[in-house]
Amino acid sequence: MIRLSVPLLVLLSFLSAGPVAAAQKWGIDGEMTAQFEAKVVDLLCELNGDCPAGCGAGKRQLGLLRDDGRLLIAVKSNTLFAGATLDLLPYCGERVEVDGLIITHPAMVIYMLQKHRRPGDADWVQATSFAKDWKKRNGSPDAKRWFRRDPAVKDVIGEFGKVGRPDLVPPPAE
Amino acid sequence: MPRFARFTLAALLVWLAVIPAARSESVERIRVEGELIDTWCYVTEIMYARGSAHYQCAVWCAVGGIPVSIRAADGTLYVVLRIEDDTQNVSNPAVVRIQSHQVTVDGDLIRRDGVNYLLVTQVADDEGIVDLTHEKFGIQPWGM
Repeated sequence: MIRLSVPLLVLLSFLSAGPVAAAQKWGIDGEMTAQFEAKVVDLLCELNGDCPAGCGAGKRQLGLLRDDGRLLIAVKSNTLFAGATLDLLPYCGERVEVDGLIITHPAMVIYMLQKHRRPGDADWVQATSFAKDWKKRNGSPDAKRWFRRDPAVKDVIGEFGKVGRPDLVPPPAE
Repeated sequence: MPRFARFTLAALLVWLAVIPAARSESVERIRVEGELIDTWCYVTEIMYARGSAHYQCAVWCAVGGIPVSIRAADGTLYVVLRIEDDTQNVSNPAVVRIQSHQVTVDGDLIRRDGVNYLLVTQVADDEGIVDLTHEKFGIQPWGM
């Protein structure tokens, strides 16, 4: 029988624990970096059996169904103020490897998606599909401050104001 | 027991042991009163994410496709996955227009893995924005 040294055992146990998580921490209470494989599901389909083709073509919130049966709601991507639906949509009904943050709050548990790839692929893809799609939809070369320029945002803020009621005066700029 | 019955029973037991049961979520009809909020900003607590102070940001996030939730007075969050017959829950224009409002809704609640999912069957009341937090917190984030 082959005898393994303690340092070698430690090294093997480290390697068998899977790839080192590379997600960027945000300093949020209850955050945990989390890199794992899961199946991408349409939440309404998974929970209620309401299952349109293609996970609703970007109009449905998507979740990550882990191999242990736990369901995580993917709420945020790496585009400022934008969700993760467009990043996960290409994997609808299929497996994906994700890298990001699980955030456990007393009110709920959420996932922030930072990177994704098909299992087995070498390269990660940054979760910025919203910005790419926004640039295409709006013919803009820059989506960094999309939320200031977006037509739908402008319509609503233009009608209701920055504090949500036209009768209220916003505070002066800081 | 006849041989065929024994075989059938054994096959059934094997099938039950091997095939995971189809997951059936329990649904509870509830009425919820609370404020429509941006789920990301509220859960992460990276800024003050309630009321008029956070209205503009809550609209950004709703248009950006981050899930909208209802925050009840006791702090419970309900992720809105459907509004009446409308199953669009990413950047739903109707939801964007009532972001940060105080609402009362009836719906079907499904709890799973630390999240309350709500399928709203009726918006019974909409009081508009009543939580005037901008008077204390300004506009979150970044001022204007």
